[in-house]
Amino acid sequence: MVMDRHPAHWVRLLAKWAAVPLALGGVILVSRAAGANEITAGLLLLVAVLGLAAWGGWTVGAVASVAATLCLNFFFFHPTGTFAIEDSSNWVALGCFLAASTLVSRLVARGRQEAAEALARQRELEVLYDLSFDLFTSPLGKAAARTLRALGSNSGALVLSGSEPAIVVGEPEVDGTFIEAARKGSAILEDGGTSYIPLQIGGQAGGVLLAWEPTAPPAVLEPAVRLLALAVERERLLREAAHLEAVRQSDALKTALLRAVSHDLRTPLTSMRLEIESLERRLAGRPEELASLHSLSRQQERLTRRIDNLLALARLEAGVARPHPEPTPAGSLFRAARESLALILEGRAVEVRIQPGCPDLWADPSVSLEVLVNLLENAARAAPPEQPLELAAESMDGHVRIEVRDRGPGLPAGGEGLSEGLGLRIARSLAEADGGSIELLDRPGGGTIARLDLPAAPELEEILAG
Amino acid sequence: MTRPNPLILVIDDDADIRRSLSRELALAGYDTLAAADGVEGRELFEHHRPDLVVTDIAMPRADGLAVISAVRRTDRTPILVLSVRGEEADKVRALDLGADDYVTKPVYLRELLARVRTQLRRTGSGGMAVPEILRFPDLVIDRGRRTVVQGEREVRLTPTELAILELLASHAGRPVTLRQIIATVWTGAPATTVDTVRVHVGSLRRKLEPDPANPRYIGTEPWVGYRFLVEPSESG
Repeated sequence: MVMDRHPAHWVRLLAKWAAVPLALGGVILVSRAAGANEITAGLLLLVAVLGLAAWGGWTVGAVASVAATLCLNFFFFHPTGTFAIEDSSNWVALGCFLAASTLVSRLVARGRQEAAEALARQRELEVLYDLSFDLFTSPLGKAAARTLRALGSNSGALVLSGSEPAIVVGEPEVDGTFIEAARKGSAILEDGGTSYIPLQIGGQAGGVLLAWEPTAPPAVLEPAVRLLALAVERERLLREAAHLEAVRQSDALKTALLRAVSHDLRTPLTSMRLEIESLERRLAGRPEELASLHSLSRQQERLTRRIDNLLALARLEAGVARPHPEPTPAGSLFRAARESLALILEGRAVEVRIQPGCPDLWADPSVSLEVLVNLLENAARAAPPEQPLELAAESMDGHVRIEVRDRGPGLPAGGEGLSEGLGLRIARSLAEADGGSIELLDRPGGGTIARLDLPAAPELEEILAG
Repeated sequence: MTRPNPLILVIDDDADIRRSLSRELALAGYDTLAAADGVEGRELFEHHRPDLVVTDIAMPRADGLAVISAVRRTDRTPILVLSVRGEEADKVRALDLGADDYVTKPVYLRELLARVRTQLRRTGSGGMAVPEILRFPDLVIDRGRRTVVQGEREVRLTPTELAILELLASHAGRPVTLRQIIATVWTGAPATTVDTVRVHVGSLRRKLEPDPANPRYIGTEPWVGYRFLVEPSESG
């Protein structure tokens, strides 16, 4: 491990230790040449020790302190040239020198180390600040490359989940099994120089950043990776917002178009309806003309209903309207259906049977009314006028079953679906949009049963409990 | 203002509809004015102060919603909206802006004339003052004693159900929006949802309607709210 270090490291180490004898030797030579006494020499040596501690750190300073104490004794205290001490007070002086030089070099070294640490932290912060700035102003590909640079890595990749393509920077060595393992965990995995760093995107495991030999300390690596995760999240939100905006614009366009069509189709129908009713009044007492007019009136109603049906279906299918289900009593639905078909049902008996305690329907009243009107209209046209129609509602495990029964010719041979009219087909689609279904059955004793199943409304307490 | 016949202002951008409506209303005994858009409608309204306004919603220059806002700034004149199916949101907006009722196009004359009569009777009979006792065929709501008698039997209602019934019945024949119900019945209560309103109306219906196969009183107005279907009895 140690042998792997860069040559510059050894040069620096050598210079640090070589500086100790050089500096102390220099001070001794100068002091001797100048004839300095032991006090001056001691002060000069102290200065040298401080310098060494400041430059080489605490270990160099400690070694230099001991060496300087020995040198002071050897070269300046009587008898010079030996380590012997005659005057016992010199022991005290030497002790004080050692203590002072050691303490001061410790303080100097610590100050220097703290300054270096502060500088390193400042650099880390600068790196992260620059990175955060770049990440939120550049596209994801650039952001990934920028993050790798901040981590001190020159190649790597950003692998996101699902359909998003991986972003590759340089030519990294990639091992798929490590990517999957890193994606599932939260710890950084390493394999042959490549680090696999998991990314938490939007609070959940979302991707992996691969970095080749990152040199950044954890203080940079962790926040940098978190920033990249935020950049990924931001990119996703931007994409989502653009998509939603596109959907909104297309919805607005569809709404405007349907509105225009609806207006243009209904304006002439309104005019026709008013003129028909006006004519009815003016032709009073002329039965032949009135009969023609009634037939015109019924056909106009039928056309109106079909256009209503088609527009309702178009709105549901275009997604510009959604059914708004609410508790709807079968009775009021039946009443509304009969009112809508007043002309067609004129002079015809309609029997209504609602099972006691039958729950309300959970349906959009306008959609379910449209469905029921179509079924009732079909029945009225199929059955001879003297035969009553039946409307029934009953509870049927979790839903409400509505039946429209007639005494017409019944289903054509070959079953339902073969000769379905437009009205029934539309009713089927509308019923499905409203959460229900339609079935046609042969009625015992002749005729047809059109059966509409719709969800039952939840009970009072269930709704209030949310 | 006393006129021999009530004056009705008809606003619609389609000339045929305008002409037919004016003619039929005239034949039913009303005086009429006609405007082709909201701007002309507002001018005629300012100048003639009609007794009732019938307006389309989608029109050039100024639409029906603008007409409603302009009229409501100064007057309580009844406003009837001609709406188109599929524009329920506009209908609700019109009612919330102060329109009194709507008729869906294609308009049936019978229905339109009935709505016109309901609105004019309301303004003719002193407008907003709601009597202490509301009398309907087979139904008496005593607002002072807080009792509801349906035929011979007394109907026991919760305070919320009674408040909803009073509101609907005092607007008999006219639509009441869900927002109006919440604003009136849940005054000051925090965030009542339309689902809560529907639940209470559902339970009110079960208590009030003697024959579920043939509901008489509370009709559903899809997307809008409810309408009390019976008209008040003529005399107490």
